Amino acid sequence: MHQRYGDRVDFQTVYIREAHPLDEWQMDSNVKDDVCYRQPRSLQERVNIANDFVKRFKYGVPLAVDAMDDPVEKVYAGWPERFYIIDARGRIVYKGEPGPFGFHPEEVEAWLARYARGPVAQSRGRAVTQQ
Amino acid sequence: MLKKILLVACGLVVLAATVIAVKIGPSNIIGMIRYDQRREGDLKVGDVAPAAMLVSLDGRSRVPLLKTNTGRPQILVFGSFT
Repeated sequence: MHQRYGDRVDFQTVYIREAHPLDEWQMDSNVKDDVCYRQPRSLQERVNIANDFVKRFKYGVPLAVDAMDDPVEKVYAGWPERFYIIDARGRIVYKGEPGPFGFHPEEVEAWLARYARGPVAQSRGRAVTQQ
Repeated sequence: MLKKILLVACGLVVLAATVIAVKIGPSNIIGMIRYDQRREGDLKVGDVAPAAMLVSLDGRSRVPLLKTNTGRPQILVFGSFT
């Protein structure tokens, strides 16, 4: 999505508290994939894990980290993963459900496709987006 | 008769719960009970997106969550490595 629409839309990844750290709700799949971290006790620890993530996946989307008291996550209810789309006027036009079950990149991609096609396609899609 | 129906219904409920528990796994059930922090939150479609600051990957400088006055929409993706 970022590669396809990054020239017309800004992307921001918000790195938040770990969803499945070793010392909380560890997932077997994370052990298998060697993604084993404890819940960070300091901002530097969280930043280090975020950097590991960027390096491992060669993640090209802008990414920054929420502070240790989770101020952004608390306002946006982003845990464990979630999408928002903010329009050019700064208003929320899409709020996804929390992941993993409500995390649907294809819904964001559909919005982006309508946006790329222009205002008519956007107005047709608005009713669906705002349900 | 009613007693029999109730017993069968209870048995089916226990069986279904056992199948679900085995499928999800006991550790995931415990994890879900203890650590699931999913919530809907107060923000709604149509609200102005609240401004906030984040920490950049160097661990020191601060960056704004939202880009302003760009005339472009913005996608926010929340998540973590694990």
